[in-house]
Amino acid sequence: MMQKMISKEKISDLIKELQKEFKVFGPVKEEGVVLFKEITDAKEICLDYSNSKIPAKSVLFPMIDTLFSYKKEGKGVKIIENPPYEKTVIFGIRPCDSMVFSLFKNFFSFGKYKDPLVLNRLKNITIIGMGCLEPRTTCFCTSVNGGPFNKESVDVLITEFKDNYYLESITDKGEALIKKIKSLTDADKGDLAKIEKLQKDIESAIPVIEGLDGIYTKLDGLFDHPMWKMESQGCIGCGSCTYLCPTCHCFDVLDENKQDGSGRRIRIWDTCQFPLFTLETSGHNPRTTKLPRVRQRIFHKFNYYPKNYNIIGCVGCGRCIINCPVSSDIRNIFISVENISSKTEG
Amino acid sequence: MVINIIDDIEKSIRETAKKLLEEKKVDLIIGYTKGSIPLRSGPCFITDASQTGMLVWNQSCDLNLAKYLAKNDDRKIGIISKGCVGRAIVHLIVEKQLNKENITIIGISCEGVLNRAKIMVEIGDKEIIEANIEDNKIIIKGKDFNKTLPLQDYINQLCITCHYKIPPISDIIIGNKKPEKPPKDDFKDLNEIESKSSNDKMEYFKKELNRCIRCYACREACPMCYCSLCFIDQNKPVWFGKTADISDNFIFHMIRAFHVAGRCVSCGACSSVCPMGIDLNFITRKLEKIVKERFDFESGINLEAPPPMGTHKFDDKQEFMIEED
Repeated sequence: MMQKMISKEKISDLIKELQKEFKVFGPVKEEGVVLFKEITDAKEICLDYSNSKIPAKSVLFPMIDTLFSYKKEGKGVKIIENPPYEKTVIFGIRPCDSMVFSLFKNFFSFGKYKDPLVLNRLKNITIIGMGCLEPRTTCFCTSVNGGPFNKESVDVLITEFKDNYYLESITDKGEALIKKIKSLTDADKGDLAKIEKLQKDIESAIPVIEGLDGIYTKLDGLFDHPMWKMESQGCIGCGSCTYLCPTCHCFDVLDENKQDGSGRRIRIWDTCQFPLFTLETSGHNPRTTKLPRVRQRIFHKFNYYPKNYNIIGCVGCGRCIINCPVSSDIRNIFISVENISSKTEG
Repeated sequence: MVINIIDDIEKSIRETAKKLLEEKKVDLIIGYTKGSIPLRSGPCFITDASQTGMLVWNQSCDLNLAKYLAKNDDRKIGIISKGCVGRAIVHLIVEKQLNKENITIIGISCEGVLNRAKIMVEIGDKEIIEANIEDNKIIIKGKDFNKTLPLQDYINQLCITCHYKIPPISDIIIGNKKPEKPPKDDFKDLNEIESKSSNDKMEYFKKELNRCIRCYACREACPMCYCSLCFIDQNKPVWFGKTADISDNFIFHMIRAFHVAGRCVSCGACSSVCPMGIDLNFITRKLEKIVKERFDFESGINLEAPPPMGTHKFDDKQEFMIEED
């Protein structure tokens, strides 16, 4: 572990240094919305933010992702591979959102078929996370094995303290990176203990959500429970909760053909909340109503994920609570599950 | 029609709902309830008279509850209806999508709902922990900030130009406003965008629609979007692109606008629900103006008036038709 610091004013210098070797993605504010974009001008970076509207999964798993391009040549087709993925730094991602890198690693390499695109990106991405000084009231990361300064899925963790940013290397990759950066100085040892206390204080102030403990086994018996009728009746069936969820990764694959015989095969975001998502070629649709779609979102994150990968498929960022058009609150579902299962046990 | 003149709308809504459920005049009340975060509300579905205390009425009640009504629903439903919810119900009846017999319209007088996107731009990325509306002011508290905003500046633009504060038809009316003859709409609010050059308009559209993530919250919140298969979801063969690329976004929003022309009831729900804060009202308002000017029609006002897009007259303007030489 290596600890370094830089004054807030000099953050552009750090970004500029990183840009020499990496493509740098960071939080940028556009039309009032914070999202992760490639930083072209170091001044664009917006570090005074609570969390981005669109999670940084968009770097690893973009909304529109070209799998390959093609061009008709005579009777054949020429496949044009993507250019090699450049070494990339994701700067300023919150520790909750960075958990997605472990999740995606599991998902995109599960079973027989590996996703070369995502796995290759994962190899080439270095994550510089930024601890969360002001968790929102909708945050519940500590209830899903995370935390505002969680180090599990970052290579370097930054903590803002007074006029400085403190950088702590977590992985070898992170250490190798911060070693090289000239604009960093050695951390002020006197502050380190204070920072540790600050981190602990912030973390312990996040309320623990009822009902999440052991939710995986509790859900097992609730697939056909009438609670899903209640929980789904207000849902309008849009994709806000899933598209803005840092862990949702479902996609659709399409071909875009141009008149001139060229085109590309793309992968775009898709969601279990849309009826078309499960429409089969035969015309049969196993999820024709809102109820099974709402249930699917919860089961996938809190039952199938733990079963398949031994992790919870939710990082507790609260985006689905903030962005739901009908103010549906996932925390209320946890409470319902808890109440129902405690009744059946009693 | 029973007219109750009561100041405290929220209290009367609860009492009325309770009474309707107790007297078994309705099986279900659809209304608004408090959201779990400030300045938000959600729908609630009440079948038990003891639960009516959860009903609320305030400037955050931005959904169009008519979305939750369906033709094949045989329950007797009482629905809390601000003007635009009532308009949606009327237009859905005109389009033969609802049966009025099963619906009790509990009309309430609405003074407009908040434009949350505008508030969020003002507040920045900070979290609102508490918000109250008092004396025409929005009083917002955050962790380390307080902000007071003038209410009238943060009311949805469509509510400012709305001439139908209460539903055109109601079974019960709550509130202190009797239906009055609406003033003439001058569409002055469109002057600014209409006076822009084509290029500037395009830039504005691009700026707004570029943020679209294709979650379809606008479509799903719209009471007029009831197609069982939306044009954008046609995939055998594919009709339009579904990516969040600006050209695909443009096509989606413009064609959706065509589809709601002469049908849109200007409730603004599409904009209110947009997680990206895209102002779709600029399309909605222009549609309203075109339909008013060309067909002298306003949707959802009159149960007998045939909708312009569903009828044909021999003297309909058709200057856009290209004649053969």
